[in-house]
Amino acid sequence: MASILVVEDDKDLNAAYKVILESEKHKVKTAFNGQEALGLLKKYTPDLILLDLLMPIMGGIELLEQYDLTNHPQVKVLIFTNMENSPEVTKAYNLGATRCIIKSWTAPQNLSKVVNDTLKSKNSQLKLTS
Amino acid sequence: MANKKQDYEGDKALAEVLFDSIGDGAVTTDEFGNVTRINPTAQSILGYSEKEALGKWFPKLCTAFDESGETIPLIDRPVTRAFVTGNIISEKIHYKTKAGNLIPVSMTISPIMVNGQPVGCIEIFRDISREYEIDKMKSDFISLASHQLRTPLSAIKTYSHMLADGFMGPLSPRQNKSLKTIIAATNRMNETIGTLLNITRIESGSIIVTKKPVAINQIIEEVISEHQLSVTEKKQSIKLNKSKDDLKIISDSVVLKEIIGNLVSNAVKYTPSNGKITIDVSTRDKTLVVAVRDTGMGIPEAYKDNIFTKFFRGENVIRQETSGTGLGLYLVKGLVNELGGNVWFESTEGKGSTFYLSLPLLPQAIRTNKSVS
Repeated sequence: MASILVVEDDKDLNAAYKVILESEKHKVKTAFNGQEALGLLKKYTPDLILLDLLMPIMGGIELLEQYDLTNHPQVKVLIFTNMENSPEVTKAYNLGATRCIIKSWTAPQNLSKVVNDTLKSKNSQLKLTS
Repeated sequence: MANKKQDYEGDKALAEVLFDSIGDGAVTTDEFGNVTRINPTAQSILGYSEKEALGKWFPKLCTAFDESGETIPLIDRPVTRAFVTGNIISEKIHYKTKAGNLIPVSMTISPIMVNGQPVGCIEIFRDISREYEIDKMKSDFISLASHQLRTPLSAIKTYSHMLADGFMGPLSPRQNKSLKTIIAATNRMNETIGTLLNITRIESGSIIVTKKPVAINQIIEEVISEHQLSVTEKKQSIKLNKSKDDLKIISDSVVLKEIIGNLVSNAVKYTPSNGKITIDVSTRDKTLVVAVRDTGMGIPEAYKDNIFTKFFRGENVIRQETSGTGLGLYLVKGLVNELGGNVWFESTEGKGSTFYLSLPLLPQAIRTNKSVS
């Protein structure tokens, strides 16, 4: 069981990810943009952030810039986006994201698997590139 | 003698007029890199008058920057390389103008050879600011389209699978069958959107390749896992013969997965029930080779030259009513080029095909023990 923060602006997907991850016994909190997520991250440190990139008010990149993963090396960040191969994904990796998954390709059982694999992974992207 | 001198003066004047009339920026330098001529277009692009530029050391007069905004060291400047190698060099770089602005230019620089020795260089360049703006607009459009088309699909896919996985209670066999059709159609639409977006990226030169260590066996296992349902439904077998050790290459995992996914998807699609698909991973010299073999319908001799052509689909394939856009192998070819590899095939009609993917292994290859993932 891990604590996971889902940051996704699409209400339907946000709700679905919560249901799927809770069915795997994870403890899930949700936010609908980067600003809300930052508010929650001031109060607790999750094991993993499931992060969308393109969101209103504050997107995923700005969240990563402000949260600064170098200060939270134990937190894994799984980018969940539909913009593969975009400069934003490269930026997210440079800011320490562990993995990037294409949202529309990922079925629920794969979501659980990817989350569990990412939680188990020892090396964050920051360590890989350093 | 006088006539010869007149001819020479006439030729020289004509050459100067021609040089000044070139519609692109043109600069010549001597063997030390000092500006010997600069035409009006170059003066207009760079902001220096002829008087300000003549006799100045060109690399100092006009600093060059790469795509990421880093200054290009003198040794790597196209002008230096053209002079040292004696080769013609064409590149896109940025020049800093007199006003301090960075201007993207497409340039070709040629050494001026006299008796086999370089005595200077001539550089022709064009301001491509407008092309850059258009490329950026294309790139922004692709990102937007990608997001807007896929967001609703993500919800359809997630909720369909949640229904199928029983999150909303048990389904009847008829409901399950309908749901499978929805999921299959969603997957097809997803693939088509992905293919179209990738082709647009390749054709517009906006694809981004992010190279990192990639465990090749793991990528193929993920691809197999994604195709397992179709393989089971067609009663086919699929087998991976891994490389001997846990081989990692420096490549782009997303692009690589797309390439191998397309080859495996074709093998599954064009192999009849009870057929076999085998994926071999091996190394040859300094190259990683992935071979995807099938016992499918094969490619007729007449179609072999067109197999990587956009929208091409063989008659034997169309007759089977198999879905397809004719874009898959065109995309594979483009993506493999982006990774600096090769793709080719061997095929016998009625017996099957083998598609080979080769990627450079060294010097970046990383080998690890099996225990280290």
